[in-house]
Amino acid sequence: MTDPYKVLGVSPSASDDEIKEAYRNLAKKYHPDQYAESPLKELADEKMKEINEAYDQINAQRKGGAGAGGAAGRGYTGGYNNVGANGSSEFRDVRTYIMSGRIADAEQILNGVPADRRNAEWYFLKGSVLFRRGWVEEAKEHFTRACQMDPGNTEYSAALNSAMNQGRGVYGGYSPGMNSNVGGCNSCDICSSLICADCCCECMGGDLIPCC
Amino acid sequence: MFGYVRPYKSEMLVREYDQYKAAYCQLCKELGKSFGIGARFILSYDCTFYAMLAIGVTGSELTLHHGKCKMNPLKKCSYIASYGEEYKRAAALSVITTYHKLRDTIEDDSFRKSFVSRLALPFMKRKYKKASGMYPLMAKAVEEAMADQQEAEKDPQASIDRCCEPTAHMLSVLFEELGGCNERQKPVLRQIGYFLGRWIYAMDAADDLRDDLETGSFNPFIHKLSLQNYLPDKGQKRSKQLLSGENRKNVELACNEVLNTNIAMILPALNLLELQNFDAIIENIIKKGLPEMQREILFLHVKEKGNDRSV
Repeated sequence: MTDPYKVLGVSPSASDDEIKEAYRNLAKKYHPDQYAESPLKELADEKMKEINEAYDQINAQRKGGAGAGGAAGRGYTGGYNNVGANGSSEFRDVRTYIMSGRIADAEQILNGVPADRRNAEWYFLKGSVLFRRGWVEEAKEHFTRACQMDPGNTEYSAALNSAMNQGRGVYGGYSPGMNSNVGGCNSCDICSSLICADCCCECMGGDLIPCC
Repeated sequence: MFGYVRPYKSEMLVREYDQYKAAYCQLCKELGKSFGIGARFILSYDCTFYAMLAIGVTGSELTLHHGKCKMNPLKKCSYIASYGEEYKRAAALSVITTYHKLRDTIEDDSFRKSFVSRLALPFMKRKYKKASGMYPLMAKAVEEAMADQQEAEKDPQASIDRCCEPTAHMLSVLFEELGGCNERQKPVLRQIGYFLGRWIYAMDAADDLRDDLETGSFNPFIHKLSLQNYLPDKGQKRSKQLLSGENRKNVELACNEVLNTNIAMILPALNLLELQNFDAIIENIIKKGLPEMQREILFLHVKEKGNDRSV
């Protein structure tokens, strides 16, 4: 077994809090949610398992072999996949293929469906196939179409939302207006800071801006 | 490649910046050594990234040297040399991509516009032969990508995804090769290469969009964002209607979203990448450098004002 401290990237003399923080940072990095639709899911799960085991092992050692706090304390396990087995599905075989990673087979069946039988679910599944192939823009168009045809479906809208969020810069990239790169300060910031400072002063019995 | 993949300097440690520069200078030196002094002019940020990624993945042993810059005798340079062949590989990639870019320019542009490219081509051809002899798989990947790109751009309604595919596939092959026999890391490298390739192609297309609209050249964003109205009328060489004001802003926001999506796909893979070296620099380039490039080109329009960008 590899050194659990090395797995977490901390020294054996690190405090419990340091270890907890290192574990949390790594768990965030390998969190299964980001790999739900990704070919890297397996590797991410493996890494997650490694750090979970390392963390448990360290906790067990430090608590004199009891190890009670370990597994309960971490709370990062398992994963989910956006395409699930849907009982009433017309395309159960396609869903099975997608879930088992056989994208080409899934696509072949979908492409064979005649135009008049292409319902909301077809667009959702085709979008999922495109997404897994990396054709993200066309995937978004298909998810949008699925949502238009069946607006109440949460499965479709969740897929569309998560794909759209990627473009908005929620998961990295550049989003205009929320620029954290520049440490600037506009007039609005100054006013609100002053008002805030005034409130603080008033709490303590003083006053920064006498008129408010 | 186009020089879009570079670090964001103000977020780097001085030590990291020095290392980046030293790798950049070493690649320049390698270009001169392998392909002659003229090849030093094709040094690019993109290929520097490729060299650094290769070194990071293989974990080759590095040595630091000091000397004078060959191109500017007043400048002193540091060099980070490697015992592996990462720089040679990156130099060959520079030569191969530049050669294809020249050929592309000659085919697409008028005689006058492509004059310099026509002069340079015979020089590059010899270097290209040498480079493709050294790395036949790399030459094949680039060649296939160029052919597939032409094929994709024949259809004016081709989707962004279709148009990104050749570059994306090419980089996924080139990056995967860096993994060597490390089967665990290969899919990670492939994923990073695929979406970085998409990002580079989309960035270039977004950067050229206004020019392409004016001259009526192919650009995948024209169909995607329904900008056909801005194209030149039949029989006319240049378009009268320029993309400007609110419309331009909306177009830029849409392009920015496409680019962000690709970064969002790279980041999870980057988390799983095991780097023995330069990890902070590579992280800076992907997480800060690429978004900064989007900001400079799409929102600050640095190129139009004639501002020089330099790292």
